[in-house]
Amino acid sequence: MERSVLVVGSGVAGIQASLDLADKGVIVHLVEKDPSIGGRMAQLDKTFPTNDCSICILAPKMADCYGHPNINVLTYSELIGLDGHKGRFKAKVLKKARYVDESKCTGCGECLVKCPTKGIPSEFEMGLSTRRAIYMPFLQAVPRVATIDREHCKHLTEGKCGVCKKVCKREAIDYEMKDAVLEFEVGAVIVATGFDVWNPMVASEYGYGRFPNVFIAMEYERIINAAGPTSGHIRRRSDGGEPRTIAFIQCVGSRNVQLNHPYCCSVCCMHSTKEAMLAKEHKDDVKTTIFYKDMRACAKGFYEYVVRAQRDYNVEYVNSDATVQEETEDHNPVVSFDVGGRSVRKEFDMVVLATSLVPRATNAQLSKVLGVQLDEFGFIKSKDRIFSPVETNVPGIYVAGYCGGPADIPESVAQGSAAAAKAAETLVEARVFA
Amino acid sequence: MSEIKKLIDETGAFDCVECGKCTSVCPVAKVDTKFAPRLIVVKALEGVDTNLAQEKEMWSCTTCEICNKMCPYKVDFTGFIQGLRSQAHDAGNFPVLSQAGAVQTMQRIMARGSKQNRLGWLTPDLRVKEKGDVFFFTGCAVQLGTIYYDRAVELRQTPASIVKILNSAGIEPVVSNDEVCCGHDLIWTGEEDLFIKLMDRNVETIKRSGAKTVVFSCPECMRTFEVDYQEFLGDFDFELKHISEYIMELVGEGKMHFNKGDSKVTYHDSCRLGRHLGIYDSPRELLDEIGLELVEMPNSREKSACCGVNAFANCSEISKKLQHDRIVEAIETGAQAMLTFCPKCVVHFNCLLNSPKSMTENEKLKIVVREFGNAIAERLQEGG
Repeated sequence: MERSVLVVGSGVAGIQASLDLADKGVIVHLVEKDPSIGGRMAQLDKTFPTNDCSICILAPKMADCYGHPNINVLTYSELIGLDGHKGRFKAKVLKKARYVDESKCTGCGECLVKCPTKGIPSEFEMGLSTRRAIYMPFLQAVPRVATIDREHCKHLTEGKCGVCKKVCKREAIDYEMKDAVLEFEVGAVIVATGFDVWNPMVASEYGYGRFPNVFIAMEYERIINAAGPTSGHIRRRSDGGEPRTIAFIQCVGSRNVQLNHPYCCSVCCMHSTKEAMLAKEHKDDVKTTIFYKDMRACAKGFYEYVVRAQRDYNVEYVNSDATVQEETEDHNPVVSFDVGGRSVRKEFDMVVLATSLVPRATNAQLSKVLGVQLDEFGFIKSKDRIFSPVETNVPGIYVAGYCGGPADIPESVAQGSAAAAKAAETLVEARVFA
Repeated sequence: MSEIKKLIDETGAFDCVECGKCTSVCPVAKVDTKFAPRLIVVKALEGVDTNLAQEKEMWSCTTCEICNKMCPYKVDFTGFIQGLRSQAHDAGNFPVLSQAGAVQTMQRIMARGSKQNRLGWLTPDLRVKEKGDVFFFTGCAVQLGTIYYDRAVELRQTPASIVKILNSAGIEPVVSNDEVCCGHDLIWTGEEDLFIKLMDRNVETIKRSGAKTVVFSCPECMRTFEVDYQEFLGDFDFELKHISEYIMELVGEGKMHFNKGDSKVTYHDSCRLGRHLGIYDSPRELLDEIGLELVEMPNSREKSACCGVNAFANCSEISKKLQHDRIVEAIETGAQAMLTFCPKCVVHFNCLLNSPKSMTENEKLKIVVREFGNAIAERLQEGG
């Protein structure tokens, strides 16, 4: 009988589940593969339908999580093994060496500006800016400690350099650090590993990767963010100019039977509406157009949000799927679409693709480790979609957030709380029957 | 109306969500403001137009299938058009055919079973058999090369080139004087009854030869066997193979060698070989094997542009525009020649290149468009 729970993934769903459990007095081991907790929500600029600053509302929860006496946050770590059964699982976690002592590093950032190995695409900024070999993924990263990327570090690959060690006044750099395998017992497991962004380069009709001014929505979220690679100025990839016309194309790769993503991603009607509004807030003379298949603004306040975009932000909605097959000489993408059965082409300064959000590529491996089933698309399967939405086929393992299927932030939070409640129930049962 | 309902069922048209993605990629819709793939399907779905068979727009479709490939819901628009054309033909709605329908007339004559000398191209140095494992379906390249002698006379060499290639690997293919046109153009202009006659004759000829593999050079013949014949007759017990796939197998077995060339070419994925049959890689591997440097056009593989005409129906200024755009794309790659397996693409592109310069308004339209099989045969190593 274990009064502790393992939470895999520290996006908003994992954070919510961890805090709920920890507040109940349960010990939580929160495992995150990246150097910081926060997940996808930390990358977003604003949230719909309230236009709250995403990181501003998430960061306090991240800090609560890290500072909570009942939560053991294991960043830069991966779950590699799980044995046992409900009430008594034995988890094996690989804690990758970050070559920085978490207990000593204060996040002063001295090493980050001195490291000579530059030009590595930043994962957090969707490759739109670069980082160095020693880095913190973003400004509000939790824990606020640096991480050395072993693939690029000159000292770790060639035995040269050593600049970061020299400049670190706290002597936190430890090149001798080794990967460690931690083992602990838990009573229940919550999986909240989130989603991958589908790469539209495989569908040549959208011109992504071929035309510089075609972006994906996650890139756009970073571009409009004040802390992002362009300090919040919307800039074209080709010339750095600010666009005056932006097209948003919906359902790129989702609701697509040919690609085996027949599901609706459930967020792009709303996030594109938000992104179009924000463009206007950033610069008043921007004209935005959203090309959509069907408007699925179904939750509370969502449709009103769309109406507000049309009325107050002059966002134009065109009911047609669209493709980008050509660009002009000055790299303006040309969008083709259908107006009542007529093919129309229109030039825009920038195009943003609302790409499908797909199951993590690592789900197959994770399902083997956990023994949980995946659904036909690769999401983690619920035991029963109606009455047991957060339970999996394995008793004692629960699922929350996008890794179980399309969900927006409020839904992910609700599922995080639901999974926490279910996990707590498991611990009580374990105590009664032990 | 029940026939339309059947068609809606068979082609998955009911799944259409009217998103318009097909329109945005359709080459015809880009030029012809009256045409869009989904419009015809939507009219059928809504049941508004009970006289769909009289619709003239269906003949504008080049059946290039880019809409099928791009449709998120896998609606078979091209299949819908094919079915509709059959109904149109019965209702007396005909397309305008090029050369007063010379090609269709030839096919109708063959369907009625007149005497023919289909193997006139066979020279004594070529080794062929009457029965054997490998049947080479020659197609109508020779006839097309004769009708269109002014623009694609090289097509008369194609079957001989293919036999020469096969001979060099020690293969003596079966060729037959009883072979007739596959009927591709007839089924795409709605003449299903005559098409069935051609189909039955061809399948019987192949069965009689005892062949286990049928090799095609013409993408249209292969598509007709693979899709249309098997739809009528069920799966064949012989294998269908495109010459590019077959040669690459023989190369892999070390049975074939080529003199390496050094020119730069571009490759045009004909719709039948590419989108209809999914064969994109073997022609490219083959180019590499014969030492020709491939420069890709921006619109290649599943996004390949269209040659503008299907089954010689409704050739118009729209077809010319599509051909013009494709040729410009090919010239911009800097290649000396554009190769393609489809004899009709060769005819259509050369039609544009040979037309009076005042019509194309462009003096610079200069590139060689060649049939792929002939280009391979030229690179064969003697005794290889």
